[in-house]
Amino acid sequence: MTTTQDRIDRAPLPGAAELARRSNLGVQLLRFLMLNFTMYRLAKSSH
Amino acid sequence: MARVVVLGAGVSGHTAALYLKKRLGRDHEVIVVSPGSKWNWIPSNIWVGVGKMGADKVVFPLAPIYRRKRIEFHQAKAVALYPDGDAHNPRGQVEIVYTDPTRVGTTERLGYDYLINATGPQLNFAATPGLGPDAGNTVSVCTPSHAVGAAKRLAEVITTLKAGIPQTLVVGVGHGTCTCEGAAFEYAFNVEQELQGAGVRDKAEVIYLTNEHELGDFGVGGMTFNSGGARVTSEAWMESLFRERRMKAITQAAVTRIDPGVINYTQIDGTENTQKFDFAMLLPPFRGVGLKAFDRTGAEITDTIFAPSGFMRVDADYTAKPFDEWTAEDWPKTYQNPTYANMFGVGIAFAPPHAISRPYATPGGLAVAPAPPRTGMPSGAMGKVVAMTIADMILKGALAPTHHASMGEMAAACIASTGTGLRRGTAAAMSMSPIVPDNARYPDTNGRDPRTTTGEIGLAAHWVKRVLHTMFLYKAKAYPFWYLIPE
Ligand SMILES: Cc1cc2nc3c(=O)[nH]c(=O)nc-3n(C[C@H](O)[C@H](O)[C@H](O)COP(=O)(O)OP(=O)(O)OC[C@H]3O[C@@H](n4cnc5c(N)ncnc54)[C@H](O)[C@@H]3O)c2cc1C
Repeated sequence: MTTTQDRIDRAPLPGAAELARRSNLGVQLLRFLMLNFTMYRLAKSSH
Repeated sequence: MARVVVLGAGVSGHTAALYLKKRLGRDHEVIVVSPGSKWNWIPSNIWVGVGKMGADKVVFPLAPIYRRKRIEFHQAKAVALYPDGDAHNPRGQVEIVYTDPTRVGTTERLGYDYLINATGPQLNFAATPGLGPDAGNTVSVCTPSHAVGAAKRLAEVITTLKAGIPQTLVVGVGHGTCTCEGAAFEYAFNVEQELQGAGVRDKAEVIYLTNEHELGDFGVGGMTFNSGGARVTSEAWMESLFRERRMKAITQAAVTRIDPGVINYTQIDGTENTQKFDFAMLLPPFRGVGLKAFDRTGAEITDTIFAPSGFMRVDADYTAKPFDEWTAEDWPKTYQNPTYANMFGVGIAFAPPHAISRPYATPGGLAVAPAPPRTGMPSGAMGKVVAMTIADMILKGALAPTHHASMGEMAAACIASTGTGLRRGTAAAMSMSPIVPDNARYPDTNGRDPRTTTGEIGLAAHWVKRVLHTMFLYKAKAYPFWYLIPE
C-alpha cells in the first residue's frame, strides 16, 4: 500500500523558475494586487 | 422598540452586532453577551504560537467599541434559552451568568425579540484523554493564552535542539472528528520555518498528523484548482510542498490517547500506532457550548433546538442520507431556527447537515471523519446576512428571511502562512467556490467553479495575510467606514 509519506517522497519539487517567481518582488507585487482583487470579488459576490 | 440579543462576540457575532446597530440606529436595542472581555482575531494566534507576534496584537477590549456604537455589552455566558418565555411573560428570554469580575456568578434573564446564537465552538479537549494544555500533554493555539504557552514550549524545544539533541515535533488534530485542519497545517509550516530560522532544522523531525484522508483535504473534500495555468489537485500540491519543506505526514488517523511524550492513534485500516513527540500541538474537536432550552412550563426542549453535537438547528436538511446523496442544496441559507422564527444560529454555532469530506471509520467503528470547517469568511457573511434579515423584519415587517448566504454558494479563501517576514515570508493562498461542492452545477470539476478555485504559493500571499490581519482588526474596531471592508 502506498502511504502518504511515500507519495510525499516522490512528489515533484518546484523548479528554479517557480522558486524565483515566489520571491521575485516585481512578480509578487503584481500577484499581491491580483490576490487582493480576487479576495474582494469573492467576498462581495458571496452574499 | 425591538431588542436583539447576540450571544457571542467572535467573528460572526461581532459582525452581526455591528451591522444590526448600523441598520437599526438608536430606535432599537442591540445587546451582546459574551464571556470574554476581549475580541480575538483567531487566525493570527498562529503567529503568537511561534513567538512572532505578541498576544496583545491579536486582541482588543470590546467594551469601548460597544460603548462608542451604543451596543449594550454584558460580559457573561449564556446558559439557557427560554424561547417561549416563562409562566409570567411569553417574551423569549436567555439566562446568562456573569463572568464580569464586578458581578461574577450573578445570574440574569434577558428578554429578547430576536436572538442570534453565535457562540462558536466549545474546545472539546476532553474527547481525547491527554489532549490539551490544561489537563493534557499537548499545546494548543486556539486561544491567545494557549498560543503563548505553545510559543514558550517551542522555544524550549529549540534550546534543546541547539544543544544538539534531536527533537520530534508533531502538529495536527487530536481526534478523528476534528475540523480546522487548515489551521493545523498552517501552524506546522510556521513551526518548520521557525526551526529553519533558528538553524536547527536538521536536528528536528516535523510531522503533520491528521484525520484527513489525504493531504489537502482540509475537511472540504480537497479541491482541484488552477495553479500556474495547470489543473492540479490540492493533494498533489500539498505533497510537493511537504517534500520541499522536508515535512513528514501521517493521514487517516484518529488520535485516541496522548500519554506524556507518546501519541496513540488508530488508522482507517484499524492499525494501532504510536508516535513519540517532544512537542505536540494538536487541535481539539469542536462541539456546541452546551446551551440548554426550556419551554414555558420549564420542560427541557434542548433536543428540539440543538443537534446532539450541541450546535443549533437551522434551515438545513438534516435528513439522514448516504454520503453520495447529500447535496449543496441541503446546506442552510438563512440560518433561521425551524421551530422559532426569531432565533438564528451563525458561524460555528449552527449545526451542519453533513460532512463535506467523505467520512470513514476504522473496522472497529472509530470515526475518521473531518467535520466541515466554518471558517472566518463564511462566518462573517452569515453574521451579516442574519443582521440584515432581522433589520428587515424589524424595520420593514418582513415575515421571512430576506438575505441568504449558503455555503453551497459562498466562496472561501484560505491563506495559510507558511512562514513570516516582509521579504522571507511565504504563504499558500487557496480559494474555492463554492465551499460545499455543487456537483449539479459543476459536474466536470468536482463541484467547484474552476475560474475561482485557485491556489498559489509565494511572498504575495503572505503580504495578503498580513494585510488581512490589519484590515479585519480595523473592521472589528468599527473605525470609520468599517463596513466597506468585506467579510
Ligand atoms: C488556530 C486557528 C486558526 C484559524 N485560522 C483561520 C484562518 O486563517 N482563516 C479563517 O477563515 N478561519 C480561521 N480559523 C477559523 C475561525 O477562527 C472561525 O471560523 C471563526 O472564529 C468562527 O467564528 P464564530 O463567530 O463562529 O466563533 P468564534 O470566533 O469562536 O466566536 C464565538 C464567541 O462566542 C463566545 N461564547 C462562547 N460561549 C458562549 C456562551 N455560552 N455565551 C455567550 N457567548 C459565548 C466566545 O467567547 C466568542 O466570543 C482558525 C481557527 C483556529 C482555531
